[in-house]
Parts: sequence; C-alpha cells; structure tokens
Amino acid sequence: MTALLEVHGLTVTYGGVTAVRGATFDVPAGRMVGLIGPNGAGKTSLVDALTGYTRPSGGTVLFKGQDITSLAPHRRARVGLARTFQSIELFDDLTIEENLAVASQHVGLLFSLRELVSRARPVDRDAVDLALSICNLEAVARRYPAELSHGQRKLVGVARALAQRPSLVLLDEPAAGLDTDESFELGTRLRAMPAYGTSVLLIDHDMSLVLTVCDEVMVLDFGALIASAAPAQIRRDPRVIAAYLGSRGDGDDD
Amino acid sequence: MTTISSYLLFVLLGLGAGAAYAILGLGLVLKFRSTGVVDFGHGAVAMFAAYVFIQLRSSGVLELPWIWLPHEVTLSSQGLGTALAMLIAVAYSAVLGLILYQLVFRPIQGSSALTKVCAAVGVMLGLQAVAVLNFGTQGRSTPTILPSGIVRVAGLIVPVDRLYFAGLVVVLAAALALVYRYTRFGLATRAADENPVGASLMGLSPTRLAAWNWVLASVLAAVAGILISPIATLDPSSYTLFVVPALGVALVARFRSFAVVAATGLGLGIAQALITKLLTVWTWLPQQGLVAGLPFILIMIVMTVFTPRLAARGDQARSTNPSVGTPRAPFRTALGCFVVGVVALFLLQGSLRSALISSLVTACICLSLVVLTGYIGQVSLAQMSFAGVSAFTLTHLATDLGWPFPLPLIAAALVAVPLGVLLGLPSLRLRGVNLAIVTLAAASAMDAFVFAGGWFSGGDAGRNIGSPRLFGWDLGIARGHEYPRVIFGVFVLLVVCAVGVAVARLRMSATGRMFLAVRSNERAAAAAGINVSAAKLLAFGYASFIAGLGGCLLAYQQGNISGSSFGAFASLSLLAIAYVAGVGRIAGAVVAGVMLSPNGLFVTLADKYLHVGVYATLVAGLALTLTAIQNPDGIASTKAGARGAGDALVRLAKKFNAHGENVGAPLGPPSRFQAKAADPIEVQWSGERG
Repeated sequence: MTALLEVHGLTVTYGGVTAVRGATFDVPAGRMVGLIGPNGAGKTSLVDALTGYTRPSGGTVLFKGQDITSLAPHRRARVGLARTFQSIELFDDLTIEENLAVASQHVGLLFSLRELVSRARPVDRDAVDLALSICNLEAVARRYPAELSHGQRKLVGVARALAQRPSLVLLDEPAAGLDTDESFELGTRLRAMPAYGTSVLLIDHDMSLVLTVCDEVMVLDFGALIASAAPAQIRRDPRVIAAYLGSRGDGDDD
Repeated sequence: MTTISSYLLFVLLGLGAGAAYAILGLGLVLKFRSTGVVDFGHGAVAMFAAYVFIQLRSSGVLELPWIWLPHEVTLSSQGLGTALAMLIAVAYSAVLGLILYQLVFRPIQGSSALTKVCAAVGVMLGLQAVAVLNFGTQGRSTPTILPSGIVRVAGLIVPVDRLYFAGLVVVLAAALALVYRYTRFGLATRAADENPVGASLMGLSPTRLAAWNWVLASVLAAVAGILISPIATLDPSSYTLFVVPALGVALVARFRSFAVVAATGLGLGIAQALITKLLTVWTWLPQQGLVAGLPFILIMIVMTVFTPRLAARGDQARSTNPSVGTPRAPFRTALGCFVVGVVALFLLQGSLRSALISSLVTACICLSLVVLTGYIGQVSLAQMSFAGVSAFTLTHLATDLGWPFPLPLIAAALVAVPLGVLLGLPSLRLRGVNLAIVTLAAASAMDAFVFAGGWFSGGDAGRNIGSPRLFGWDLGIARGHEYPRVIFGVFVLLVVCAVGVAVARLRMSATGRMFLAVRSNERAAAAAGINVSAAKLLAFGYASFIAGLGGCLLAYQQGNISGSSFGAFASLSLLAIAYVAGVGRIAGAVVAGVMLSPNGLFVTLADKYLHVGVYATLVAGLALTLTAIQNPDGIASTKAGARGAGDALVRLAKKFNAHGENVGAPLGPPSRFQAKAADPIEVQWSGERG
C-alpha cells in the first residue's frame, strides 16, 4: 500500500539558513503520526512547505500519489490536505459555525450565481457538526472568535481544518496555549479522526502529548529528521534526548 | 529651429511640471515613511500654499483655511515682496501640516489602510472645498518667480527657470537623502519606520518624529505649489490632483529612495512634454488623453508588474475592518422600503422628488462598494468610472443601436464586469492603500482616455439617452412638461430594492462567507480551500455590475450625460460618503444616498430651506475625516448611530487607552516564553521517573 503523504528530500532555505534539510518520510493512511522537535527545529517551515506557504528549494511532496510540490495552497486544501496555524488565524467576522462552514464548501462562479437566485444549498452540516463535537465547541457555535478564550480559539482552528473532511490534517502546535488537561482531552478526541477517514500529522514540541496519543513519532532537529519510530522507542532514543537536552547524548553515556 | 533643438526645448519645458511632481513626491515619501499614511491631501496642501502665496503677492491679503469666520487678513495694502510672500506661504503650510497631523493622522496611527485612505481623502476634499468657497474655481496666474530669461547654449534656446527647477529638485533630494542617512533625526525616523515599538523602547518618540516629518513634507508641498504657480494656472481641483502623478513618482521609488523620486519626477515631466511634441509629429497616436493619462499608466504598470510587495506599514497594524451587517428577512425589508419609497415619491414634488431619485441612484452605486469594500475589504476609488462606462455604453446601445429596454440596461451593466475584473487583477498582489492608489490611477486614466472626449463619451456635448419603454409603456423621467415623473422613480426604486436584496442575500450566502473569510485573513482562507484570487475577482465582477446598473440609472435620470459626472473626484466622494455611512451595510448605502449624497434628499432639503448646499463637499470631507478618526466602522455600524457626542468621547478615550496598551504590549511575551520553556523540562523529569 502506498502512503498517503510521501515526502522526499524536502529542503527549505531562507537566505543562507536551511530550515528543513532533506526531510524524507511517509505518512500512511489511517494513522496518527506525531512530529516533534524543539523550538527552531523547522517544524513550521516543514508544514509551510507541505501546504504550499513556502516554496521548498528542493525535494518532492506526493499526496495520494499525486505530485503536489508546486500546487497553490488552496488546491492542496481541496485535494484533502488541511492544516492549522500555530498563530491562531481565524475569520474574525464570522461566527464559529460560519468559520467551519466556509471551510467545508467550495464556491465557484456558477455556484455563486445560482445561490443568488435560488435557495442556498445547505452547507455540509455533518462535517461542521462532527468538527464542532470533536473539538467540544457545540456550545459556542454561534459566537464570534473574539468572544472565546485563547484555548477555544485554538480549537476552532483545529475544527475548521477538520470541517474540510481532509484525508490528512497537519496540526501545527494545536496544544500550545492549552493547559495539560485540555491538551490531553484534545489528543484523545483527535485519536478518533482516523476512524472518520482523516489521518493526522500532529506537530508539537510537547513530547508528552505526542508520545501519548500518536501511533508513530518522528523527531526533527535543526531541519533534519533524526528519528522515526513508535513512541516507546522514541522515549529511549539517545539522539532525541540529546536534541531536547541540548547536549550530546554520547557524552552522557561516558 | 532645427528638429533636434525643438525636441530639446520640450524636454526642458517638461522640467517645470516634473519638478513639481518630484518635490511633491519627496513630501509623500516623508509622510509615508514616518506614519504609513499615503496622503491624498498632499496636493491640496500645495494648492492652498499657492493661493496664499499668490494672494499675498498680488494684494497683501493672507488667506486662512476656514469659512464663515473672517478668512482674509490684510497684511499690506499693496502686494508683499515675492520673497516675503514665499516665506509666509511656506511657514503657513508648515503650520497647516502640523495641525493636520496632530488632529487627523496621529489619532489614526495603527488603524486600517481603509481608515487612513478615507481620512486622507477627507482632508483632501475638505481643503479643496474650502478653496472653492473662498477662492472660486476661476483659474489664477502670477508672474514668474525665477529669472525667466533664455540663454543660448550651443545654438539651443534654453529657458533658464527650468534649469533652476531641475537644480532645486536635485538639491532638495540630495539634502533629504543626506539628512536621512547621517543625522540623528533621519536615523531615528528610519528606525521608527522599521520598528515603531522597538524605537519607542529606545526612547525615541515616533509621534514627535512623525510630526517633524509631516512639517517638512508640508514645507515641500508649499515649495512645489509656489514654484509651479507661474507656469500652471492655479485652480482648486487641478492642483489638488497633482497628487496623482506625484503618487506615481513616489511609488516608483517604493516610497523610499529620494534620488529615485527626483529622477522619476523630472523624467515624467519630460515624457509628458515630449508626448505633447510627438503628438504633432506622429498624428496616428491617440490625440486624446495620452499626456494626462501617462502618469496613471505608469502607476498601474509599476504597481502591478514590478512591485510584488510594498512595505506598507499599515499592514502591520491589527486591521480593523468595517463591521458588516447580518441582514434578516431581506425580502420583507425590501418590500417595506419599496412601499415607503413609493409613498415618498408621490408626496414629494419637483426638485425634492428629483433629489430622492438621485439618492436612490447613489445608493445603488454605493451598494457596489458594500460588496467590494465592505464584504471583501478591497478599496476601490474607481467605482464611478465603471458607472460611467456602463452609462455611455447604454447611450450607444439604446440610442444608436435602438435595442429595446431592458436589454441595453443589462448589457451595459455587463460591459462594466470585464473592466472591473481587469481592475481587480492588481488586487491579487496589492492590498489596502496600494490598491487604493492603483484604482485612483485607473480612474484618472479613464478620465483622460475615456471621459474627456471622443466618440464614446461625446465630449462637452455629452450623449443623449431616451426614455426607457417597456411594452410601449413610458418609464422615462420626463414626458412633455411632466418632470420628474413618479413612474421613473418607481422604476429606479425597484432596481435598487432588487440590488439591495441581492446584496443582502450575498452576505448570508456561502459566497458572502467566503468574501468575509478572505477579508479577515487571506492565509487562513487559502488553507480553508478558498481560491483567494478568484474570490476577489468575483467580488470585483459583482461590484462593477452593480456600479454599472447605477450608472445606467443615472443616465436615464439625466437624459444627457457627460464625462464630468464620472471623474476621479466623483469616485473619491462616493467612497467617502459610503464609508462615512457604513460601507459594510446595506443600510449604510441607503444612508449615503439619502443623507450624504450632494444631490441627495437631505442636502437638497437643507439647501432649499437653509441654503447650505454650497457646503456639501466641505461637510462630506469633514464628516469623512471625523468618522475615520472616531469610528472606523462608519455611522450605520453604531447602534442606530445615535449614541451622541458623549459616547464619541468615551470611544476616543478608549482609543487613547488602546495606544497605551500597545506600549505595554512588549512586556507580554516573556511570560509566555517561560511557560513554553517549562514544558520540555517537565518531559525530562517524567522520563527520568519512568
């Protein structure tokens, strides 16, 4: 079986700085994969490159077997690759429900003209409701983003990505700003996503969250992938511990 | 005279206008770099300084920039000396600039681009209106200032003053460049430009720096206005519109390099003069509009082709978009409005009925801005141009080709759509104030090429349009001595109500949600699968269709239309009143049409009974500026707009508080960093325990 997302030698450079160095990995369908790395490891650059917000300087990205390396961001979203943002980027003029509805519906010229004259076609209610319930946002569906707490707004970002019914969702630090209980509750709820046909790539620097909820964990440091294994192995991997401690693992062994 | 030397003469003549563009451009750069404001009122300041100078020089009277109160102070019974008059005019301009900065532009620092554009347009309209009231629209001229002789260099006749012009530009640009490069003032301004918060933490005061820059820029505006007054006839509108080519020049320099401003300004002046010459040689060139239109073509090319990203400081600010309404039951509301409108049409007579119909037409065109500026947040200063293209197309289709109503109405409105989409193309790259500049340039180019004359717009005589007839039923505004007819008002009312319902439905539809999403956050919109470019072009298409419909209604109403109805100033005023009334709401469009439009019901009523119609533009300018300062959302967005002055003060106080919070903001992040840093440590501990 081919993987859902196949990344080969992906490299991102800003000026002379290499943020992602030849990242190569697969995300299989129906899995929840974690990607961890300390601050500055290149996590967000990787997400930006995968979703078309940064032009990679090398490498290819295959999604469902199709080369999407040079596709525009909205095209990638439409083929089923959704993302969230580390900084909360919501539509402040729309209610939470509308934030999700926008993401679940594609509007072209003909659609737009038709809905002006005829009854508007109902939005994909199921996708919106499912996303609201996974993120525990039903109670605030009619509110506006500015009325919500930081943690809830973060969840709206996740819900908006889920409302697109994506095949794969890239969650960029969804737990930052949530307290420990909230982030574990979110993690637990996200575990249900593969059952609805959405694989998850969870990117975070919170190791305990990622190691607890993911099936498989990749570790990124200084732009390079240094480990990829099951959570139990990652916990013991000296290179990972070194990356997080900021000192040399082999030095500790002596 | 040999051919070569005659060309050279034109080159030298072009240095006059070129110098004015360059010096105005230098001032625009100073204003932009210090406050992020693209000051559309810069030309108006130059215009005022020129009037002050000419009045002082000819009659020794100092003209003050207000009305009602005595505005003429006699300093001397006969004219002052040229140098003294110049000095006073320059000082006057400096004070005016300082006052404008403190009253208008300082309070809106950090506001959205739309707010800044509207405030600047308000200042421009206000100054221009005061000038029209105090000085009239008659052109004025003054004797030369600089030595006006000619010298012969190698057989060429060279007008000396133009050489002085060019020299002055070079000196000024060099001086500014040196000041910005080497003095503490220049360094501080550049620092504040790069990072206002950081600069204020370093103990620099961005507002004081901005005030000084603003004064300097106003001095330059005065210099430009005074220098050009002997060679270009002074009147309120043409000097005010000098800002448009100057904007083009500043744009080429990316609002940064003084040297590029100087070179481009002079080059533009020369190019215009050469085109004037070439038109006499190459008669196949389009005779009309090329000279006047050139700067605008330049702006559009530079902005859309060569400028991927401008450092627009306004973009950093948390933008406050105008609020949008959530229309409930649009059909019932429209029906109610229709009934009220029909009753009003029957009750009102003569000029008041005409005014009501004008109000409706304006409301229709304003609805195009509700879609474009309100829903999807794109500033357009060219909506009247679309209206104009449709209006003239209508005359051709209906009068010349004899198409039966309502075919020409719909076809003419559709003609505006590709034009609107074309103008929408720059919006894919440009945002906020930069887009406003391009659209203003487009409007000015349309003025020069389309509306100034020619077969399409019929020149001074304009073009006629007959009454619309549906199944032999005369819907026209006039029949015999009957004018204005109720039936025409009902026809207009129907169209406006239909457009209103459509715009309301648009807001509540998936399309409307998509527009608002794009307005809020383009990055996130793309992540949600929205094709941001397509959404913008769609909005431009809808908006220009609506504007086109409005233009057609205007044509039917006036019977004879000329290009002057659709000029760049008309578009500016339209955005002004739409913004003041609340550009995100359908009610706002109605308020704009009925209450604020210069030909609308309220102003006509006020003029009829209070004789204040001459102040309409001035009031519009003031209202626009005040609205921009106090309430970035417009009148219709406040609860019924009736909270009163006390509330406005509270709002203002809050705004100042908000500034205070901004200063405190840098203290926030460290605590967050601590929280983040704590997480990995916790992981390590749990690892050790396990």
